[in-house]
Amino acid sequence: MEIKGIFKLENKSWVLGSVIVAILVLLPILFLIRGLLKIEESDLLYLLNTILLEYTLNTFYLIFITSLFSLFFGILPAWYISKYKFAGRSFFDITLYLPLAIPSYIMAFTYSDILSFTGPIQSFLRTHFNSISNIFNKDYLQIEVLGVVLALALYPYIYSASRISFSLIGVNYVNLSKNLGLSKTKSFFKIFLPLSKPAILSGLFLVIMEVLNEYGAVKYFGINTYTSGIFRAWFSMNNIGTAIQLSIILLIVVLSLLYLEKLINAKSKFNYSINSKRQNLRNLKKKKLFLVYIVCSIPVFFGFFIPLGFIINNVILTYFKIDFNQLFELVSNSIKVSTIASILIIIIALLFLFIEKITKSKINHVISQLISLGYALPGAVIGLSLILMATSFNDIFSSLSIMGSFYLLIYAYVIRFLAVGKSPIKSSLDKHPDSYTDTAKNLGLSPIMQLKEIYLPINKFALITAFIVTFIDLMKELPITLILRPFNFDTLGTQTYEYAIEEMIPLSSIYSLSIIIISSVMLLFLKNIINKQINVPRG
Amino acid sequence: MFLEVKKLVKFYNKTPVIKGLDFTLKKGEIISFLGESGSGKTTFLKCLSGLEKINSGSIKLNGSKLNDNSIFVSPQKRKIGYVFQDYPLFPHLNLIENITLNLEKKFEKKLSSIIKLTNLESLLERYPHELSGGEQQRTCLARALVREPDLLLLDEPFSNLDSNIKLSIREEIYRIIKETKTTTILVTHDINDSLNIADRILIFKAGVMQQFDDPVKMYCEPANCYCAEILGDLNQINIANKTYYLRPEKIKVVSKSKNVLSVEKCFFQGKDYKIKAKFNNNIWHLFSDKSYKINDSIHIAYDKSDLIYFDNMCKSFFK
Repeated sequence: MEIKGIFKLENKSWVLGSVIVAILVLLPILFLIRGLLKIEESDLLYLLNTILLEYTLNTFYLIFITSLFSLFFGILPAWYISKYKFAGRSFFDITLYLPLAIPSYIMAFTYSDILSFTGPIQSFLRTHFNSISNIFNKDYLQIEVLGVVLALALYPYIYSASRISFSLIGVNYVNLSKNLGLSKTKSFFKIFLPLSKPAILSGLFLVIMEVLNEYGAVKYFGINTYTSGIFRAWFSMNNIGTAIQLSIILLIVVLSLLYLEKLINAKSKFNYSINSKRQNLRNLKKKKLFLVYIVCSIPVFFGFFIPLGFIINNVILTYFKIDFNQLFELVSNSIKVSTIASILIIIIALLFLFIEKITKSKINHVISQLISLGYALPGAVIGLSLILMATSFNDIFSSLSIMGSFYLLIYAYVIRFLAVGKSPIKSSLDKHPDSYTDTAKNLGLSPIMQLKEIYLPINKFALITAFIVTFIDLMKELPITLILRPFNFDTLGTQTYEYAIEEMIPLSSIYSLSIIIISSVMLLFLKNIINKQINVPRG
Repeated sequence: MFLEVKKLVKFYNKTPVIKGLDFTLKKGEIISFLGESGSGKTTFLKCLSGLEKINSGSIKLNGSKLNDNSIFVSPQKRKIGYVFQDYPLFPHLNLIENITLNLEKKFEKKLSSIIKLTNLESLLERYPHELSGGEQQRTCLARALVREPDLLLLDEPFSNLDSNIKLSIREEIYRIIKETKTTTILVTHDINDSLNIADRILIFKAGVMQQFDDPVKMYCEPANCYCAEILGDLNQINIANKTYYLRPEKIKVVSKSKNVLSVEKCFFQGKDYKIKAKFNNNIWHLFSDKSYKINDSIHIAYDKSDLIYFDNMCKSFFK
């Protein structure tokens, strides 16, 4: 027999462990807030009187355009692929995810080159249609163009969320809407779209977060947003106060959006029975087939094949200039940091979620929510926070040199991408009933045994998924790596950026291509896992 | 006593779910814990198994204290088998791996007899999704029984089964429990499950035990109107300004009587007809060998000793 408290203590040590890790994850933000208190009034006035309005308008206008086009590129293909049978459906189902393999900054560099005066379109027009070529000779580095380009890179967040949601809507709803006399179009707008609203909103939220986090593309297009402003104030103008203020403003915007998303989702929170029989795919009428091909082809070709083709062409043209030793080193660096950070993220995320599951304590629920905020924090904010923290530590412990170290970079990655790794594990854990934990306890399994015997094996696919999505995001990461990378340490992302910013886009292509190939392979593997899960027999 | 529950109190977020529950259980006895959905039945089982801590009171099993103000034995250390309502079998393990998960060596010799008893011999390699509801349930039962628990807890074991297999599974579970002589608490909201399996029935309502008796006594001498109604239909009759109740089967159809009912509905239910009729503005139910048409008159008689009386406040108390 045991004395009261031993059970409690066992859980307490788990809870305590998670509290410590959570503090470590959130610590840099506290340093950012501390930094704000030291800012002088003149800095604040400078911000208010000069750049704040422009930065705010640009940021929100860019969010609006990107969101609008992402919704357009994402929802309709997801609908047709989830509900209809047509030749090429499987091809589109796989390739529609692939733009995720292309970092948004590479997409922006590529399109700016394609559309430029020396690019293939204008060169072709000058050669063959010289009389009208002047009409197309414009400055395409505009915020509207950037919005569309970013949408081409980011729409898969909306596509994947809507695709899963549309697939899970059972045949009962389809039959019921027919029985109520709703046409196909009305059914889509009155039944299926509202049912999928929470999923679409969560996808849209990710798109918005990515736009707020975007640095490489906005910098290249010369558009002043909050994020590019932080970099400019910090590195070009050496004005730490303005950088901190912009970071805090960005943080407030992000937290407000997070709150808004929760508010909207709470209002539209409903459970629909996904256990009802799934609807068989319907045949498409011939006249509609053309429309479906257009709808599915635009995002795939403009979001993946055209930039990929352009990049491959550049690689062929610059092949003799490629430094393969450097390329291998950068591939190795990118894979190394992405793998280490992904594994760390998955271990931490699994532990947090497992502790939340077994203790069912409110503290762990709050911690779990708080650590997810990292993904909402733009890389520039996290980078700046960590520099402030590292500087403070260096002031206190002069022998300690963490600034510019590899550990600091990994630390930043963990903060930023913990939520990415956590999400698939959480949704997998949520599918398992509480009675699994209760049964395991009843069968005498200790928490460690529960983790080893039950939770690791049954969440195997989720853990692999979590690894892949985190790995891909890390492969593409730019702002944090630019700020925190150790001296003389480059990744494929930073090298691509540096060539592009020096107007040497063809030379950057081999590095872009490497990111795209590695990410595409991982994505195809991931898609295979997702398909297995969507097609799992239900009953 | 084998199981002693004394003044057990359990709160959920300051709301009392169990308000001072007292009862004892003999070894080998099967009791049924009967109550409506959400009445706290599952919470009670979780308190017994250690998945929830009690707020006050005590639980003693087989001479050992499991939980009181100073002692809490973790669920891992209690010798209590728990068959959960949704038959949780781990999806990555096959049937035999589910049963033997974390099984102590000393119980392994029992394994083959339990598998035979639960009729699972041919299914050992199957995974949970390849098993029917009844097979999943028998696996959960085997997993609990092979550990020779001091106490077996069955949480709504038949609620997820189709009605056509429910009866045979109920019989089978009863046979297995009786053969292993396992002390068992069956939680259910279905009176027929209780009457078929339990030696004694505990009726639970509003966090309070209403009655704990053998089924016959409970049917014939219900402690209050709630217990009376939960065990079957009741017909209300007013005599000398007092309200009495009468079970349908105690009513005899006669050729002539001063008590005349007007038929509202009559349907055949196998061995006889069930009749719904109006008597002095009250709806009555009774049985008859003969069929009746709507608005037919039926003359009835009854024994005064079969009348059940409750305080007039009883009905409103349980509303």
